[in-house]
Amino acid sequence: MSETDNLIDQLAQDGAVPPANALPRFVMPLAGVIALCALGVALALDGAFASVQQNGLNGIVVKWGFSLALLLLSAFALWAIGKPGTRTGGAMVALAVPFALVAALLVLDLLVAEAIFPGETWRECLAAMGIMSPVAFVGAIVATRWLAPTDLPRAGLAAGLFGGAVAMTAYAPYCTQHGMLYMAVFCCLPILAMAALGWLLGPRLLRW
Amino acid sequence: MLDQLMAAARAGDLAAYRQFLAEAAQRIRARLARKIGADSELEDLVQECLIAIHEKRHTLDPDRPVAPWMNAIAQYKLIDHWRKRGRSPIDLDDEADMAVPADTLAKADIETLLGKLPPAQAEAIRMTHIEGLTNREASEKIGIGVSAMKLRVHRGMQRLKELADEDGS
Repeated sequence: MSETDNLIDQLAQDGAVPPANALPRFVMPLAGVIALCALGVALALDGAFASVQQNGLNGIVVKWGFSLALLLLSAFALWAIGKPGTRTGGAMVALAVPFALVAALLVLDLLVAEAIFPGETWRECLAAMGIMSPVAFVGAIVATRWLAPTDLPRAGLAAGLFGGAVAMTAYAPYCTQHGMLYMAVFCCLPILAMAALGWLLGPRLLRW
Repeated sequence: MLDQLMAAARAGDLAAYRQFLAEAAQRIRARLARKIGADSELEDLVQECLIAIHEKRHTLDPDRPVAPWMNAIAQYKLIDHWRKRGRSPIDLDDEADMAVPADTLAKADIETLLGKLPPAQAEAIRMTHIEGLTNREASEKIGIGVSAMKLRVHRGMQRLKELADEDGS
Protein backbone atom coordinates (compact mmCIF):
# COMPACT_ATOMS: atom_id res chain seq x y z
CA MET A 1 0.00 0.00 0.00
CA SER A 2 1.42 3.41 -0.96
CA GLU A 3 1.89 6.30 1.44
CA THR A 4 -0.97 8.15 -0.24
CA ASP A 5 -3.25 5.19 0.33
CA ASN A 6 -2.21 5.13 3.98
CA LEU A 7 -2.99 8.82 4.24
CA ILE A 8 -6.38 8.31 2.60
CA ASP A 9 -7.16 5.58 5.13
CA GLN A 10 -6.24 7.88 7.99
CA LEU A 11 -8.29 10.79 6.67
CA ALA A 12 -11.27 8.61 5.81
CA GLN A 13 -11.52 7.47 9.42
CA ASP A 14 -12.59 11.00 10.41
CA GLY A 15 -15.49 10.94 7.96
CA ALA A 16 -16.85 13.89 6.02
CA VAL A 17 -19.89 14.87 8.05
CA PRO A 18 -19.64 18.67 8.08
CA PRO A 19 -19.44 20.33 11.50
CA ALA A 20 -22.68 21.93 12.60
CA ASN A 21 -20.87 25.06 13.69
CA ALA A 22 -19.25 26.05 10.37
CA LEU A 23 -21.21 29.30 10.02
CA PRO A 24 -21.11 30.26 13.72
CA ARG A 25 -17.32 29.76 13.75
CA PHE A 26 -17.08 32.30 10.94
CA VAL A 27 -19.59 34.74 12.40
CA MET A 28 -18.43 34.67 16.03
CA PRO A 29 -15.08 36.48 15.53
CA LEU A 30 -16.84 39.10 13.40
CA ALA A 31 -19.59 39.64 15.95
CA GLY A 32 -16.97 39.64 18.71
CA VAL A 33 -14.97 42.53 17.26
CA ILE A 34 -18.12 44.50 16.50
CA ALA A 35 -19.17 44.15 20.15
CA LEU A 36 -15.64 44.93 21.35
CA CYS A 37 -15.40 48.12 19.30
CA ALA A 38 -18.91 49.27 20.27
CA LEU A 39 -18.14 48.67 23.94
CA GLY A 40 -14.70 50.26 23.74
CA VAL A 41 -15.92 53.45 22.11
CA ALA A 42 -18.86 53.66 24.55
CA LEU A 43 -16.45 53.48 27.48
CA ALA A 44 -13.99 55.94 25.98
CA LEU A 45 -16.30 58.61 24.61
CA ASP A 46 -19.30 60.58 25.86
CA GLY A 47 -22.17 62.12 23.98
CA ALA A 48 -23.57 59.38 21.82
CA PHE A 49 -26.03 60.72 19.25
CA ALA A 50 -25.34 64.34 20.23
CA SER A 51 -25.22 65.19 16.53
CA VAL A 52 -28.74 63.82 16.08
CA GLN A 53 -30.07 66.34 18.60
CA GLN A 54 -28.14 69.15 16.89
CA ASN A 55 -28.51 68.31 13.22
CA GLY A 56 -31.25 65.73 12.91
CA LEU A 57 -31.05 62.18 11.62
CA ASN A 58 -29.58 62.84 8.19
CA GLY A 59 -25.94 62.64 9.25
CA ILE A 60 -26.17 59.37 11.16
CA VAL A 61 -28.39 57.80 8.50
CA VAL A 62 -25.80 58.52 5.80
CA LYS A 63 -22.87 57.38 7.95
CA TRP A 64 -24.53 54.21 9.18
CA GLY A 65 -26.05 53.56 5.78
CA PHE A 66 -22.56 53.56 4.29
CA SER A 67 -20.75 51.75 7.09
CA LEU A 68 -23.36 49.06 7.73
CA ALA A 69 -23.72 48.38 4.02
CA LEU A 70 -19.95 48.04 3.72
CA LEU A 71 -19.78 45.91 6.86
CA LEU A 72 -22.38 43.45 5.57
CA LEU A 73 -21.03 43.41 2.02
CA SER A 74 -17.47 42.78 3.20
CA ALA A 75 -18.62 39.98 5.54
CA PHE A 76 -20.50 38.33 2.65
CA ALA A 77 -17.48 38.84 0.39
CA LEU A 78 -15.22 37.14 2.96
CA TRP A 79 -17.65 34.22 3.22
CA ALA A 80 -17.64 33.85 -0.57
CA ILE A 81 -13.87 34.28 -0.97
CA GLY A 82 -13.33 31.68 1.74
CA LYS A 83 -15.04 28.99 -0.33
CA PRO A 84 -12.72 27.63 -3.02
CA GLY A 85 -14.11 27.61 -6.52
CA THR A 86 -16.72 30.29 -5.83
CA ARG A 87 -16.92 33.23 -8.22
CA THR A 88 -16.28 36.38 -6.21
CA GLY A 89 -16.11 39.09 -8.88
CA GLY A 90 -19.66 40.22 -8.15
CA ALA A 91 -19.01 40.41 -4.43
CA MET A 92 -15.92 42.55 -5.05
CA VAL A 93 -17.80 44.91 -7.38
CA ALA A 94 -20.56 45.20 -4.77
CA LEU A 95 -17.96 46.42 -2.28
CA ALA A 96 -17.34 49.45 -4.49
CA VAL A 97 -21.02 50.48 -4.54
CA PRO A 98 -21.07 52.26 -1.12
CA PHE A 99 -17.95 54.20 -2.12
CA ALA A 100 -19.51 55.17 -5.45
CA LEU A 101 -22.60 56.47 -3.64
CA VAL A 102 -20.46 58.49 -1.24
CA ALA A 103 -18.56 59.93 -4.20
CA ALA A 104 -21.82 60.95 -5.86
CA LEU A 105 -23.14 62.51 -2.65
CA LEU A 106 -19.80 64.28 -2.18
CA VAL A 107 -20.10 65.94 -5.57
CA LEU A 108 -23.64 67.09 -4.76
CA ASP A 109 -22.59 68.28 -1.33
CA LEU A 110 -19.69 70.29 -2.71
CA LEU A 111 -22.01 71.93 -5.22
CA VAL A 112 -24.82 72.96 -2.88
CA ALA A 113 -23.64 72.95 0.74
CA GLU A 114 -21.17 74.99 2.71
CA ALA A 115 -19.59 72.47 5.02
CA ILE A 116 -17.05 73.42 7.65
CA PHE A 117 -13.91 71.44 6.97
CA PRO A 118 -12.12 69.80 8.67
CA GLY A 119 -14.01 70.78 11.83
CA GLU A 120 -12.89 70.36 15.43
CA THR A 121 -13.03 66.63 16.03
CA TRP A 122 -11.16 65.20 13.07
CA ARG A 123 -8.26 64.07 15.26
CA GLU A 124 -10.64 62.10 17.47
CA CYS A 125 -12.23 60.57 14.38
CA LEU A 126 -8.90 59.56 12.91
CA ALA A 127 -7.76 58.14 16.24
CA ALA A 128 -10.96 56.10 16.55
CA MET A 129 -10.58 54.77 13.02
CA GLY A 130 -6.88 54.10 13.53
CA ILE A 131 -7.39 52.16 16.74
CA MET A 132 -10.54 50.20 15.97
CA SER A 133 -9.91 49.32 12.31
CA PRO A 134 -6.93 47.01 13.04
CA VAL A 135 -8.82 45.39 15.93
CA ALA A 136 -11.77 44.58 13.72
CA PHE A 137 -9.40 43.56 10.92
CA VAL A 138 -7.90 40.92 13.22
CA GLY A 139 -11.39 39.55 13.86
CA ALA A 140 -11.99 39.31 10.12
CA ILE A 141 -8.67 37.53 9.64
CA VAL A 142 -9.50 35.02 12.38
CA ALA A 143 -12.91 34.39 10.83
CA THR A 144 -11.48 33.96 7.34
CA ARG A 145 -8.74 31.58 8.46
CA TRP A 146 -11.49 29.15 9.45
CA LEU A 147 -12.43 29.07 5.76
CA ALA A 148 -10.16 28.33 2.79
CA PRO A 149 -9.48 31.52 0.81
CA THR A 150 -7.52 30.89 -2.36
CA ASP A 151 -7.14 34.55 -3.38
CA LEU A 152 -5.32 35.88 -0.35
CA PRO A 153 -4.82 39.54 -1.39
CA ARG A 154 -8.51 39.78 -2.24
CA ALA A 155 -9.47 38.20 1.08
CA GLY A 156 -7.12 40.58 2.89
CA LEU A 157 -8.68 43.55 1.13
CA ALA A 158 -12.19 42.48 2.13
CA ALA A 159 -10.98 41.94 5.71
CA GLY A 160 -9.52 45.45 5.70
CA LEU A 161 -12.78 46.93 4.46
CA PHE A 162 -14.62 45.03 7.18
CA GLY A 163 -12.21 46.39 9.80
CA GLY A 164 -12.72 49.95 8.63
CA ALA A 165 -16.48 49.55 8.36
CA VAL A 166 -16.73 48.25 11.91
CA ALA A 167 -14.65 51.16 13.21
CA MET A 168 -16.83 53.69 11.42
CA THR A 169 -20.05 52.02 12.55
CA ALA A 170 -18.88 52.09 16.17
CA TYR A 171 -17.68 55.70 16.05
CA ALA A 172 -20.49 57.22 13.96
CA PRO A 173 -22.89 57.94 16.90
CA TYR A 174 -20.15 59.99 18.57
CA CYS A 175 -19.16 61.93 15.46
CA THR A 176 -20.46 65.48 15.64
CA GLN A 177 -19.25 66.48 12.20
CA HIS A 178 -21.42 66.33 9.14
CA GLY A 179 -20.82 66.87 5.48
CA MET A 180 -19.71 64.46 2.82
CA LEU A 181 -16.23 65.91 2.48
CA TYR A 182 -15.57 65.19 6.14
CA MET A 183 -16.92 61.67 5.78
CA ALA A 184 -14.91 61.03 2.63
CA VAL A 185 -11.62 62.26 4.07
CA PHE A 186 -11.81 61.08 7.68
CA CYS A 187 -13.86 57.92 7.30
CA CYS A 188 -13.64 56.57 3.75
CA LEU A 189 -9.93 57.22 3.24
CA PRO A 190 -8.93 55.45 6.49
CA ILE A 191 -11.13 52.54 5.46
CA LEU A 192 -9.43 52.38 2.07
CA ALA A 193 -6.03 52.59 3.78
CA MET A 194 -6.99 49.63 5.98
CA ALA A 195 -8.15 47.78 2.87
CA ALA A 196 -4.81 48.45 1.15
CA LEU A 197 -3.00 47.17 4.23
CA GLY A 198 -5.20 44.09 4.18
CA TRP A 199 -4.37 43.54 0.51
CA LEU A 200 -0.67 43.58 1.37
CA LEU A 201 -0.92 41.51 4.56
CA GLY A 202 -3.48 38.99 3.32
CA PRO A 203 -0.95 36.62 1.74
CA ARG A 204 1.02 36.49 4.99
CA LEU A 205 -1.87 36.29 7.43
CA LEU A 206 -4.24 34.02 5.57
CA ARG A 207 -2.00 31.23 4.23
CA TRP A 208 -3.23 27.76 5.04
CA MET B 1 -19.25 10.52 -9.43
CA LEU B 2 -17.39 12.77 -7.00
CA ASP B 3 -20.63 14.55 -6.16
CA GLN B 4 -22.45 11.33 -5.30
CA LEU B 5 -19.54 10.03 -3.24
CA MET B 6 -19.27 13.27 -1.30
CA ALA B 7 -23.02 13.39 -0.72
CA ALA B 8 -22.88 9.87 0.72
CA ALA B 9 -19.79 10.76 2.75
CA ARG B 10 -21.51 13.80 4.18
CA ALA B 11 -24.35 11.53 5.25
CA GLY B 12 -21.87 9.53 7.32
CA ASP B 13 -20.71 6.82 4.89
CA LEU B 14 -17.01 6.31 5.71
CA ALA B 15 -16.44 3.90 2.81
CA ALA B 16 -17.83 6.45 0.38
CA TYR B 17 -15.51 9.07 1.83
CA ARG B 18 -12.52 6.78 1.37
CA GLN B 19 -13.57 6.19 -2.22
CA PHE B 20 -14.03 9.92 -2.71
CA LEU B 21 -10.53 10.65 -1.43
CA ALA B 22 -9.04 7.93 -3.65
CA GLU B 23 -10.85 9.29 -6.69
CA ALA B 24 -9.86 12.85 -5.76
CA ALA B 25 -6.22 11.77 -5.40
CA GLN B 26 -6.29 10.25 -8.86
CA ARG B 27 -7.76 13.34 -10.49
CA ILE B 28 -5.48 15.74 -8.62
CA ARG B 29 -2.42 13.63 -9.48
CA ALA B 30 -3.33 13.71 -13.17
CA ARG B 31 -3.98 17.46 -13.03
CA LEU B 32 -0.78 18.30 -11.17
CA ALA B 33 1.35 15.95 -13.26
CA ARG B 34 0.52 18.07 -16.30
CA LYS B 35 1.94 21.10 -14.50
CA ILE B 36 4.93 19.86 -12.54
CA GLY B 37 5.62 16.55 -14.25
CA ALA B 38 5.92 13.23 -12.48
CA ASP B 39 8.81 14.29 -10.27
CA SER B 40 9.39 13.21 -6.71
CA GLU B 41 7.38 16.09 -5.30
CA LEU B 42 4.19 15.21 -7.14
CA GLU B 43 3.07 12.65 -4.58
CA ASP B 44 3.87 14.98 -1.68
CA LEU B 45 1.80 17.69 -3.31
CA VAL B 46 -1.08 15.28 -3.90
CA GLN B 47 -0.94 14.38 -0.21
CA GLU B 48 -0.94 18.04 0.80
CA CYS B 49 -4.01 18.57 -1.36
CA LEU B 50 -5.79 15.63 0.24
CA ILE B 51 -5.03 16.92 3.72
CA ALA B 52 -6.29 20.38 2.71
CA ILE B 53 -9.46 18.93 1.20
CA HIS B 54 -10.06 17.00 4.38
CA GLU B 55 -9.32 19.87 6.76
CA LYS B 56 -11.39 22.37 4.76
CA ARG B 57 -14.29 20.11 3.82
CA HIS B 58 -16.70 22.39 5.69
CA THR B 59 -16.15 25.04 2.99
CA LEU B 60 -17.88 22.92 0.36
CA ASP B 61 -21.52 23.91 -0.08
CA PRO B 62 -23.65 20.77 -0.34
CA ASP B 63 -25.61 22.16 -3.30
CA ARG B 64 -22.51 22.97 -5.37
CA PRO B 65 -20.46 20.55 -7.47
CA VAL B 66 -17.32 19.18 -5.87
CA ALA B 67 -14.94 19.43 -8.85
CA PRO B 68 -14.52 23.26 -8.99
CA TRP B 69 -14.00 23.34 -5.22
CA MET B 70 -11.45 20.53 -5.32
CA ASN B 71 -9.63 21.98 -8.33
CA ALA B 72 -9.43 25.40 -6.70
CA ILE B 73 -7.80 23.85 -3.63
CA ALA B 74 -5.35 21.89 -5.80
CA GLN B 75 -4.50 25.03 -7.76
CA TYR B 76 -3.96 26.98 -4.54
CA LYS B 77 -1.67 24.29 -3.16
CA LEU B 78 0.25 24.17 -6.44
CA ILE B 79 0.82 27.94 -6.39
CA ASP B 80 1.81 27.73 -2.73
CA HIS B 81 4.22 24.95 -3.64
CA TRP B 82 5.79 27.04 -6.42
CA ARG B 83 6.00 30.04 -4.12
CA LYS B 84 7.82 28.03 -1.48
CA ARG B 85 10.10 26.47 -4.06
CA GLY B 86 10.90 29.88 -5.46
CA ARG B 87 11.86 31.22 -2.08
CA SER B 88 13.79 28.27 -0.74
CA PRO B 89 14.06 24.86 -2.33
CA ILE B 90 12.65 22.20 -0.06
CA ASP B 91 12.65 18.47 -0.16
CA LEU B 92 9.85 16.93 1.81
CA ASP B 93 11.55 13.72 2.81
CA ASP B 94 13.42 12.22 5.72
CA GLU B 95 16.83 13.39 4.53
CA ALA B 96 15.88 17.02 4.03
CA ASP B 97 14.28 17.45 7.41
CA MET B 98 16.92 15.38 9.21
CA ALA B 99 19.73 17.33 7.57
CA VAL B 100 19.38 20.43 9.70
CA PRO B 101 22.87 21.86 10.27
CA ALA B 102 24.03 20.79 13.70
CA ASP B 103 24.64 24.33 14.90
CA THR B 104 21.34 25.77 13.63
CA LEU B 105 19.55 25.12 16.88
CA ALA B 106 22.57 24.62 19.09
CA LYS B 107 22.21 27.82 21.06
CA ALA B 108 18.48 27.64 21.38
CA ASP B 109 16.57 26.17 24.24
CA ILE B 110 14.96 23.38 22.25
CA GLU B 111 12.19 22.66 24.71
CA THR B 112 11.21 26.34 24.85
CA LEU B 113 11.11 26.47 21.07
CA LEU B 114 9.15 23.24 20.84
CA GLY B 115 6.69 24.71 23.31
CA LYS B 116 5.90 27.38 20.73
CA LEU B 117 4.90 24.82 18.11
CA PRO B 118 1.49 23.17 17.77
CA PRO B 119 1.58 20.09 20.03
CA ALA B 120 1.33 17.62 17.12
CA GLN B 121 4.34 19.16 15.35
CA ALA B 122 6.35 19.35 18.58
CA GLU B 123 5.61 15.69 19.31
CA ALA B 124 6.62 14.70 15.77
CA ILE B 125 9.96 16.52 16.09
CA ARG B 126 10.65 15.10 19.54
CA MET B 127 10.17 11.59 18.25
CA THR B 128 12.14 11.98 15.01
CA HIS B 129 14.89 14.40 16.02
CA ILE B 130 15.35 13.77 19.73
CA GLU B 131 14.30 10.15 20.24
CA GLY B 132 15.78 9.21 16.88
CA LEU B 133 12.81 7.38 15.40
CA THR B 134 12.31 7.31 11.65
CA ASN B 135 9.17 8.91 10.23
CA ARG B 136 7.70 5.47 9.71
CA GLU B 137 8.41 4.35 13.29
CA ALA B 138 7.05 7.60 14.70
CA SER B 139 3.91 7.43 12.60
CA GLU B 140 3.26 3.86 13.68
CA LYS B 141 3.80 4.80 17.31
CA ILE B 142 1.03 7.41 17.32
CA GLY B 143 -1.13 5.79 14.68
CA ILE B 144 -1.03 8.22 11.78
CA GLY B 145 0.13 7.82 8.19
CA VAL B 146 3.77 8.26 7.25
CA SER B 147 2.86 11.11 4.95
CA ALA B 148 1.02 12.93 7.69
CA MET B 149 4.03 12.45 9.97
CA LYS B 150 6.38 13.77 7.30
CA LEU B 151 4.21 16.82 6.87
CA ARG B 152 4.15 17.45 10.61
CA VAL B 153 7.92 17.13 10.89
CA HIS B 154 8.51 19.27 7.85
CA ARG B 155 6.20 22.07 8.93
CA GLY B 156 7.47 21.88 12.48
CA MET B 157 11.09 22.10 11.35
CA GLN B 158 10.32 25.05 9.13
CA ARG B 159 8.67 26.87 12.02
CA LEU B 160 11.46 25.85 14.39
CA LYS B 161 14.08 27.31 12.10
CA GLU B 162 12.09 30.54 11.86
CA LEU B 163 11.82 30.72 15.64
CA ALA B 164 15.55 30.04 16.04
CA ASP B 165 16.32 32.77 13.49
CA GLU B 166 14.02 35.21 15.30
CA ASP B 167 15.70 34.44 18.62
CA GLY B 168 19.12 34.80 17.05
CA SER B 169 18.46 38.14 15.38
